[in-house]
Amino acid sequence: MSPASGKLTAATSGFALSAAVTVLFNTALAWAKDAYPPVNGFMQSLTGHHWTTHGAADLVLFAGLGLILTYTRAAQRIDPNRLIGALIGAVAIAALGLAVWFAFV
Amino acid sequence: MLHAGFGATGCLAAVWAFVETLNAQPGNAARIRAAALVTALSMAGAWICGGYWYVHFYPAEKTLILQGPWPFAHNLFMETKEHLFFLTAILAFLLPVAAREKTYSNSAARKLVLSVAALVAITGLAVEGAGAVIEHGAKVALLRGGSKGGR
Repeated sequence: MSPASGKLTAATSGFALSAAVTVLFNTALAWAKDAYPPVNGFMQSLTGHHWTTHGAADLVLFAGLGLILTYTRAAQRIDPNRLIGALIGAVAIAALGLAVWFAFV
Repeated sequence: MLHAGFGATGCLAAVWAFVETLNAQPGNAARIRAAALVTALSMAGAWICGGYWYVHFYPAEKTLILQGPWPFAHNLFMETKEHLFFLTAILAFLLPVAAREKTYSNSAARKLVLSVAALVAITGLAVEGAGAVIEHGAKVALLRGGSKGGR
């Protein structure tokens, strides 16, 4: 695919960057829960199940960071091609990070 | 299973959004947005239904799987799946936001929608496949238990 031209709106670029950060946070939190049981226990104590807390944390981060980046227009200053590349890279690292962790650690 | 149905529908809707965006023009802009919305709503449905199952009923299935011949169905596939799904869901929620752009005249927006739709379909299918392995892990545990009981 050739390099893209055109600009993304503040909301699109903000939520795209927020998604990239959130997927990496998601994998880091999964590692932390698995490696350090007190983290798992603390998350369980918040909602009754660690997975429920994990999902809520992801949602809050995605929505909150997305809104902040939308209003500050911070992500809009990033070249769209770099932003799309960062999102794809973040998803690949996050997904492989989960599979490799649970396969070998 | 309702959550698997919602997940499959979300994957199909993401492919629909991808194909519509490949041929983006003013005439199909509404369909791109509709496909993106169906993707997000389906993944939200999969999250709610799958989450209810996972929290309330999976612990018994997990015990069964870990006692059976395929403990990796939980240790690798379920552990990965339960966290990988969040990636799929977040990307599915991003898709309607990206689809609000004029994909027919803005190549950056078109590239973003194509990328996000493809990632939703790929990670969603990986989650669906992991679900099949987990169900098989429970099945072989039950079969082994049944064959022992028959002896």
